[in-house]
Amino acid sequence: MNDESAELPRQRRGITPQMVGRFPDFDVLDTVDQWDPVTREAVMSRLSIQGPLQFFSPDEEPALRALCDTLSHQHEEPRVPLAEMIDRKYAQGKLDGYRYDDMPDDRDTWHLVLQGVDEVARRRFGRPFHQLDVESREGICQDFSDGLLQGGAWDALNVKRAFSVVMRGVASQFYSHPWAWNEIGFGGPAYPRGFARFGEMSARESFEAPEAFTADPVRDVEARHE
Amino acid sequence: MIRHWLAGHLLKGAVGPPDNDSRFLLHPHRRGIQGLDRMARHGRDDEVDLCIVGAGAGGSVLAQRLARRGLRIVILEAGPFWDPDRDWASDESAQHKLYWTSPRVIGGRNPVELGKNNSGHGVGGSMIHYAGYTPRLHPSDFEVRSRDGVAQDWPLSYWDLKRHYEQVELELPVSGQNWPWGDPHTYPFPPHPVSAAALAAWRGALKLNIPMRAGPVGIVNGSFGNRPHCIYRGFCLEGCKVNAKASPLVTHLPDAIAHGAEVRAGSMACRVELDAQGMARGVEYVDVESGEHRFQRAAAVAVCGYSIETPRLLLNSAEARFPHGLCNNEDQVGRFIMVQGAPQVAARFPREMRMYKAPPPEVSSEHFYETDPGRGFARGFAIQTVSPMPIAWAEHVMAEGYWGRDLRQYMRDYNHWTVLGVLNELLPHPDNRVTLDEERDQFGLPVAHMSYGLSDNDSANIDFAKGVLRDIWKEADAEDTLTIDRYAHLVGGCRMGFSPEDSVVDADHRSWAVPNLYIADGSVFVTQGSANPALTIMALASRLASRIAGGSALPVRSRATALTRTLRGERTAATGAR
Repeated sequence: MNDESAELPRQRRGITPQMVGRFPDFDVLDTVDQWDPVTREAVMSRLSIQGPLQFFSPDEEPALRALCDTLSHQHEEPRVPLAEMIDRKYAQGKLDGYRYDDMPDDRDTWHLVLQGVDEVARRRFGRPFHQLDVESREGICQDFSDGLLQGGAWDALNVKRAFSVVMRGVASQFYSHPWAWNEIGFGGPAYPRGFARFGEMSARESFEAPEAFTADPVRDVEARHE
Repeated sequence: MIRHWLAGHLLKGAVGPPDNDSRFLLHPHRRGIQGLDRMARHGRDDEVDLCIVGAGAGGSVLAQRLARRGLRIVILEAGPFWDPDRDWASDESAQHKLYWTSPRVIGGRNPVELGKNNSGHGVGGSMIHYAGYTPRLHPSDFEVRSRDGVAQDWPLSYWDLKRHYEQVELELPVSGQNWPWGDPHTYPFPPHPVSAAALAAWRGALKLNIPMRAGPVGIVNGSFGNRPHCIYRGFCLEGCKVNAKASPLVTHLPDAIAHGAEVRAGSMACRVELDAQGMARGVEYVDVESGEHRFQRAAAVAVCGYSIETPRLLLNSAEARFPHGLCNNEDQVGRFIMVQGAPQVAARFPREMRMYKAPPPEVSSEHFYETDPGRGFARGFAIQTVSPMPIAWAEHVMAEGYWGRDLRQYMRDYNHWTVLGVLNELLPHPDNRVTLDEERDQFGLPVAHMSYGLSDNDSANIDFAKGVLRDIWKEADAEDTLTIDRYAHLVGGCRMGFSPEDSVVDADHRSWAVPNLYIADGSVFVTQGSANPALTIMALASRLASRIAGGSALPVRSRATALTRTLRGERTAATGAR
């Protein structure tokens, strides 16, 4: 189901989502002692975030988890706890500062989307979304991304814009997590130490590690979709 | 100005601005403004000389200038009073609080997403999270109707603003190479070092004979009072924890407060109120913490809430004499709002670029700024480097339709990418406007609805610019590119003009309808050029302040206001008489 785990290097230092990545010897948390206290608190609190969910109801939880897993391609532990992170954002009443005039509030969009993916899953496979295999869930998400879902909850939404609300929520939480920074080799907060090496001669600080391989995703992704 | 000439030539990096001590008032080791417990606090029944709504680029400069002239000033700011040490993390997600995230509704043919990237919240305004680019407008920007037959001319010229541009560039201070475009000029600080990511773009541009320059950025490069040198951590858009990047919080408010201005944070303005004679008598606001409604009396009011909140405040201030919103009897409030086209093209290179290091704003070009009839559209665009952090980069990848496994795979390649963007001059259109929506915010006030649509000229400009970016990357030997369509910046919405029929305020920022009501923010822009607006907003506020202080921009209908008395040095007597 997750063919990548076999292809990608195992993480040797620190944690990445699913323990794979491209920088097996890089752990951004090695520098945590050099961050200012406010930054340290903001980043480290993401490592201890836990349920129970407050904004989403227990009925919505299975669909939420399955949707987050599918959209972020997280099918094994360790996972970035997206459901908990998104839940916390809305429980704290945080919004993004705009709403399309043909869309409900982002919070209602989430409720409708979770209802909608279950409706589609039952219609197509006779089972709720979270009981589907990964391939079937990805098929529904592809139609969601392409704006092709209809009926029930979807009729209250502009489907493509709803996908953007949900995907923006997933990605902005996923890439705020230090495990994801390890996966992509991002140097992290760097305050107050700053970065010294950004010229032509050297792109890596002393604490940053080289990548294990290089591959252009553009061609890979195209090839996989053909 | 001789000082500016010396700063840009013989004494680069060594000349500070006159009449602004902010850089010395900041603490060398603490980032927040010190001594706030000693800041002036005006009583509720106290009539101040000037009540400013919004502590951003416009309001802060106006306050700093006029506080120095002895005016008693209160700035109402809806958001918090930031202390970067205490409130800010060096982190993309945690800094979401810098944006105006109260509800707003968007629509039209090409809706513009708000919040992150174009709307600030808190003392310092949007300049807290702007990238740091500080280009001037070109002289041509003020006369596009006369030159190109599109949009509208400004009621003032570049030359009216020039000395204020120079003063503000000293105050920020701006670093950059000598500037060959528009009105050629120099900068007071030398350019920052250029990262490998930006050099790749420069190399491609050179092959196409497109000149690039380092800067101009309002980021300290050297020694500037108690503000430290940039540490190149790359988090310019997340608020500068270093105090190296210019924002009113470090460039103007320390001096304003030292000269008696009061910044009242957590105060959301709800309406400007008029007296029986039709003059503004003050501003009603909500104390955000207690929810209590309060009133600040003032001899004059300056609205500086930017292109969405300024029109919204006027529209929410409707009353019998102005049933469709204050100053809106000619149906001009909220119209001609503009954004800049800001498509970005990312490029992949075989070697690591690690674009998150160094300030995102590094090198730029105004080679395509002016109209070229051969391109088939009026006006042009500027090219600038931008370096998204991981979350912003994920948005780039998602814009191409990738999610799930594809997204993860693209993101793992983050360190190989670098990004160039443009700013297209989009033209003003009356139907691009802010109105009130049915939805209400937490204070019960109707929220803004912003409608936007592109014209054919706008689309042609954007398409041409994306082609140029792709050509540059091709010449730079990039392996692949990714394109994202987006917008940046807000200006217009209460534009200045020649008559009440075509605008909301006159060339001195006075509203046509209410003589002691000024608007001093980006909403007065008539056109926008391809320049990031912050420097021009500050320069306009600086010019307005000098015209108020000089007596030429006072409320026309009544010259004997408290404002005039203060400026004449009669405040003590006047206060005594009250």
